[in-house]
Amino acid sequence: MIYTRKSPALLVIGVIMLLWGWLNASGSVDGMQSWLQKSAYSDHKKVKEKFESDLKVATEKAQAAGQPAPTMTMPKSKFDDAKAKQAQLSYIFGGVALALGLLIMVWTPKEGNADYFLSIFPGMAYILVIAFIVRWGLDPMFANWGKAAKDTLGFDFAHIFNLNYVVLGIVIGIVIVNVFRIPAWAANGVRTARFFLKSGVILLGTLYSATELAQLGGLSVVMIGIFVLGSVWIVLIMGKRMQAGNSMTAVLSAGMGVCGVSATVAASPVVNAKAAEIAYTIGTILIWGVGCMFLFPTVGHLLGMGPVQFGAWAGTGILNSAQVAGAALAFDPHGIETLKVAEIFNITRVLFLPIIVLWLAAWYVKHEVGAQKVNLGQVLVAKFPVFVLGFILMFLLSTMGAFTPAGHYQGKYFSADKVKEEQLLKEKDTKALEGELARLKETEGAAALQGHFTEKAINIGQRHATPEDAYKALADLIANRKETSREQDDLLKAVSKLKDLNADAKAALEKAHKPVWHTSKSISAFRDWIAWLFAFGLIGLGMQITGKALKQAGGKPLIIGGVVGTLKAVGSLIVVLLFVKEFV
Amino acid sequence: MSATSAFQAPATLLLCHHGTLGAAAAEALAGEFAVPGVTTVVHCLVVPELWAGMQGDDWLNNASTRDAFGNYVENMLENDARRELAAVEARCRERGLGYRSVLRFGEPAATVLAVAAEVGADLVVIGPPRRKGEAGLRSRLELDPLVRGLRCPLLVAARP
Repeated sequence: MIYTRKSPALLVIGVIMLLWGWLNASGSVDGMQSWLQKSAYSDHKKVKEKFESDLKVATEKAQAAGQPAPTMTMPKSKFDDAKAKQAQLSYIFGGVALALGLLIMVWTPKEGNADYFLSIFPGMAYILVIAFIVRWGLDPMFANWGKAAKDTLGFDFAHIFNLNYVVLGIVIGIVIVNVFRIPAWAANGVRTARFFLKSGVILLGTLYSATELAQLGGLSVVMIGIFVLGSVWIVLIMGKRMQAGNSMTAVLSAGMGVCGVSATVAASPVVNAKAAEIAYTIGTILIWGVGCMFLFPTVGHLLGMGPVQFGAWAGTGILNSAQVAGAALAFDPHGIETLKVAEIFNITRVLFLPIIVLWLAAWYVKHEVGAQKVNLGQVLVAKFPVFVLGFILMFLLSTMGAFTPAGHYQGKYFSADKVKEEQLLKEKDTKALEGELARLKETEGAAALQGHFTEKAINIGQRHATPEDAYKALADLIANRKETSREQDDLLKAVSKLKDLNADAKAALEKAHKPVWHTSKSISAFRDWIAWLFAFGLIGLGMQITGKALKQAGGKPLIIGGVVGTLKAVGSLIVVLLFVKEFV
Repeated sequence: MSATSAFQAPATLLLCHHGTLGAAAAEALAGEFAVPGVTTVVHCLVVPELWAGMQGDDWLNNASTRDAFGNYVENMLENDARRELAAVEARCRERGLGYRSVLRFGEPAATVLAVAAEVGADLVVIGPPRRKGEAGLRSRLELDPLVRGLRCPLLVAARP
């Protein structure tokens, strides 16, 4: 079979990308970009004004000294960097698409690996061009509209409804597959979304410190352990009570309990699920998962949840694993902290999967007359998620300093010589902090601080943080004009989240945090690539969610799924709000 | 009085049958119009394309697990279909009717239209559309495009 379709689509995509790169590099779309990237453009105007003023002064000085006017180059602004990045990515991927598009048009493929690998590129370019449109166009556009409508509506609808590149990308993927259908030339490439999503998780391994991984791992094992085992158990009981049949009950408990569609796919052959049972289960899980992906981030914003709390809640409460990543990025699209937490929960779930499949296989054999026993070892090996090994490898390499400067996570950047003079707090900042320190020492302020620490369960080592700890941390910061320890940084990070904190003091705390929390260039690059990989993967996965599959939700699985899904979502929310502290 | 007394007996009768109660009603209705020695029943069984999206957005599993699932579902659907085809064939042969089967994967209405054109059907017989809320997979045969596209009479069996 020949997989490569002779179509000019890849060639056209390549030309469009190259054109966009050229338009950005030449400044032809500066008008549109200045509207889309308002914050970066504002920075650009400041840089330009400063440069023009410096140039004027330098020119006047040179003229006074009878020398020729100096030649100065304007420093690059964030706006210039953003455009240059768009141009660079467009040139690289546009060039590759153009070359491969030409090859597809002129080459007559023969059956084999070369044909198969070539056939995946048009689909990959198709997703990538959608990712470009969503991330560079629709995301900032909705953000601008949300801000513009804030005064009229009283809230930022784009923020509250999470109309960012992740959600928009998934929605576009769902619309394409259900309304327009995936073009035949793109079908093979669209399937690579899974590979890129797994690559994103593997790269994510570079962003954890050993402490973070240990704490998040412990938390996820406890949460997932309770809620996975609990949901499996409840489904087994409900299935028996409702006489849903052994194979239906088994496949449903895997899907509802562990990781949604993935668990259904893994468990179905083992428990001899019937075709209709698989369809009902997958339909129910998909409809529930897609609903949660939109609902969870909005609830998270309304409840003022932090990355750890939201990541833990989404990682536990959302039935389907693809929507866990989607919800985490929808909640926190321009940082990666929530995704880091949520993916640890996803990894824990997938590690639970072989165990649950084995449990259900044993349960099925016990309850179903004539059921064949399964080979336990074979199931464990076949279902083991190999990509988790990649994640662990990247974590180990990162911890050993392969990507980050040695001692990166030990707070090397707190030492005096690493914080430059211009990064130290200015007088205006220290005055704002002094004012707040005095206010927080008063009865009302101390009570608010104590309440905040208790609510967010802020700890110092093994004990709870007190207002006195915060006073000392603030006083040290005012004296040194910079943070000097990881403990102080963690504590002041918590103080900066205090409600009613003076805006200048909050800005000063954020300013003090920046230089000590140094991120190496390679780690910054990894963060950027991870965001792209997840955006790419989730758009592709959106294209796998068909309305025809969603419509199959119904019957007993929908009732059982509704009960267990609600219990899991609400139960995990309560546990997270009560017991999970915001900062790890 | 036989139904065929008012009509000419169809040489090729396309029976859409996939094992449901409605399909059994369609088979019974087809039996009233089919004449032994004259009519060949072409049994069209459509595996709905909803199965193509049935791996959903699974991304955590290894390729081997997904392949195992795909093969499992494919084998199950094929075995179910073959069993259905064999049962209808046996009943047709018993009545002395000619029999052919067409097993296709796709959108039901478009597939029936295509098969009707391919086999040159003189009459198409289908079961009654399911009522909303009735048990079964949500994969309805859209009547509108079928009625507009067919070039021969269409009979819809009464609800059993």
